[in-house]
Amino acid sequence: MRVRFGIGLMALLVLSGCSGTPAVPQGVPSAPAPLTTTPAPGAGLGEQPPASPAPETAIVVPDVPRQNSSIDAQVTREVVPPVNISVADLELDMPVLGMGVDGDGAMDLPQNTGEAGWYRFGPAPGDPAGTTVIAAHVDSAIYGLGAFARLREVTIGVPVTVRTADGAEHRYTVSEVVRTPKSDVPLGDLFDREGAARLVLVTCGGEFDRSTGHYLDNVIVTAVPE
Amino acid sequence: MHSRILAGVTVGAIALVGAALPANAAEESSAKLSVLHGVPDLPVDVYVNNELTLDNFAPSDLAGPLELPAGTYSVAITAADAADASAPAIGPVDLTLAAGGNYTAVAHLNAAGEPTATLFLNDTTATAAGEGRLTVRHTAAAPAVDVLAGGSAVISGLTNPNEQVLNLPAGTVSASVAAAGTTDPVIGPADVTIADGVNTIVYAWGSLEAGNLALAVQTIDGLSSAPHGIPAGSVGLAADSDTGSLVWLGSAALLMLIAAAGVTVSTRRREAAQSK
Repeated sequence: MRVRFGIGLMALLVLSGCSGTPAVPQGVPSAPAPLTTTPAPGAGLGEQPPASPAPETAIVVPDVPRQNSSIDAQVTREVVPPVNISVADLELDMPVLGMGVDGDGAMDLPQNTGEAGWYRFGPAPGDPAGTTVIAAHVDSAIYGLGAFARLREVTIGVPVTVRTADGAEHRYTVSEVVRTPKSDVPLGDLFDREGAARLVLVTCGGEFDRSTGHYLDNVIVTAVPE
Repeated sequence: MHSRILAGVTVGAIALVGAALPANAAEESSAKLSVLHGVPDLPVDVYVNNELTLDNFAPSDLAGPLELPAGTYSVAITAADAADASAPAIGPVDLTLAAGGNYTAVAHLNAAGEPTATLFLNDTTATAAGEGRLTVRHTAAAPAVDVLAGGSAVISGLTNPNEQVLNLPAGTVSASVAAAGTTDPVIGPADVTIADGVNTIVYAWGSLEAGNLALAVQTIDGLSSAPHGIPAGSVGLAADSDTGSLVWLGSAALLMLIAAAGVTVSTRRREAAQSK
């Protein structure tokens, strides 16, 4: 008892030294680049099909993709949202709600620490590519400590199951656990839409700054499909 | 005819110079070009630098995007049964594509109902997290229009061949098009999806007089931005430590006292149990 408490106290005394500066907004457009024109004499469309450049001698009508642009012909992306996440090893089992962006441009999260939020503008578990981001408040003055607080204890290889609204269970295996100062979190990479399909679980951790009411770190758990 | 078309394209080109290019424009040497057919009842062939590029291109068809080296291209649009580009119905016009630019060339009617062509530069700058972009282009034989969403004008007095760009929260907009200053729709209402990170370009095309006004839609995705952060805690219950105050020192001291008391109590209990 005394020994364990001593370790806990040491952990309390460790300062990670990270700063509380806000994360840099992603995707801010830079100043317009100058318009530069490089004349390409003879570079006709027929000689430059997009996928596989044909030899310059080829005289064929290129296979340009075509679609009906009529507003009635538009198909909207079908998304099957996640509704539950469970990590048996952590005794974590909680509902998942689709969430967007708050007034400051940050990811919005359910106030209830017993509920997780899925970034609904990004990929979903059934999507062939990109990162499904599920995050939850680690604590709340009303709801207390949340189950996502136990993400710190997760180890590589632990199974994670996400159930989607169609009843399908998507199984993942934890591949990485990191704790990063919020100012260093690679948000563009974390919310990736094109890379290999993966699940990223996020909560807060590290030091707590009472003057701002924010933790200084994000705990980021990456899991890959089984 | 030729001179009028060329004049129209020149105006378009001037408008393009001031528009923003994507951040990576300088690194790219190619441009993207899509082609929209917005002339009613006229199947056409599209020749680029005298090469047949789009055969039997039908009204409402959208082709591309084609990845092309930056440069100037001569585009001629003929009737679909023409043998070559020598007698175009539209053009030939010179389209100058800058490196990194994403363009749509539209064959359409001008306000007076004559076939013409306009080159638009598509806005591919990043959208804010949770937002999409709506671009509305007037390419119809019709006077100035308003675009109404939810009954009120969000775009006013848009004329052929111009555009207006709005950044909007992701969602669905019920939009209709009415003559400028009125609210009686000549097109719509139609549901337009505004998706995060997508520029949804809506073209009003056709002819008011002929009663064949229609909406065409082009989407350009991949413009999304990540949220600015993930603020996932607010109390400090899971903290390793606090900064900004010395409260944690007091808490630690208190915890030590409680722990010490616990040890003392459990020791006493053990002693009591042993003595029984």
